[in-house]
Amino acid sequence: MKAKSDFPSLNPKEPDGLKSDGTPYKVMIVDDSMFVKKQLIQIFQSEQYEVLDTAGDGEEAVEKYKEHHPNIDIVTMDITMPKMDGITALEKIIEFDKNAKVIMISALGKQELVKKSLLLGAKNYIVKPLDRKKVLERSLNVLTR
Amino acid sequence: MRVEYINPFVESAMSVLQTTVSSEVKRGAPKLSNSINHIMGVAIIVGLAGQVSGRVIIDMSQETALNIASSMNGERLNTFDELVSATLTELGNMITGNAVTKLHQLGFKFDLTPPALFMGDNLRITDAKIEALVVPLELTEGKIEINVAIKENY
Repeated sequence: MKAKSDFPSLNPKEPDGLKSDGTPYKVMIVDDSMFVKKQLIQIFQSEQYEVLDTAGDGEEAVEKYKEHHPNIDIVTMDITMPKMDGITALEKIIEFDKNAKVIMISALGKQELVKKSLLLGAKNYIVKPLDRKKVLERSLNVLTR
Repeated sequence: MRVEYINPFVESAMSVLQTTVSSEVKRGAPKLSNSINHIMGVAIIVGLAGQVSGRVIIDMSQETALNIASSMNGERLNTFDELVSATLTELGNMITGNAVTKLHQLGFKFDLTPPALFMGDNLRITDAKIEALVVPLELTEGKIEINVAIKENY
């Protein structure tokens, strides 16, 4: 029988989702698509992030951000959503906590909206289809900047 | 209908499918479709309105739709539940969003409706006075047809 340690480790680096003290970064995922939500959860969990909560529209996102603050490290925010869109939600979150770390998730063809959200205080953006590497790179970049 | 309109959608569909579904996507010959189109079983429909107007249909059989949703989720899905619908809707979003960027760069300005998902046997669609171009795509998961009908507004 082989112990885990008998296999050479191909990926010796620490998981992205852990801070230097070993506790996980806490992420909230805001998206109205169950598919995108699930994709993001899988990507973050694979690097040991803690998915603290999810929201399906902007209103819910703002409410939950306030509820979890200051216990939330990073938010991924879809742009097109029912009730309240991601840009309005971003504005309200930044109004409440000017240091909030929000990454916009955008479909292609929405450059104007992405630009607008960056001006409003979003820290970065990711264009769909989601690429695991890009999601992780940009999140880590925002968290460690 | 001008071929310039369908190419961005086909190229976008191929690149999105290659990234999210399977690396092998074969493009078939385009055909002009008559006014009544038969739908294979599942159709994702996105409307266009602005300087040009019309609609894009991404059409496939129910089996293919389940295969594609399964590949995109990395797990076998056998029933049309919320996750399958969300996955196919997202596929429609990605394909059309990508294509629209290209068309905007070419100078065509228009908006898109959110994708609507239609399902059923023996579905047909009729377009009034717009001819449609259809390009079939072959994947391991099955066949998809990209059906585009666009006209210019003067």
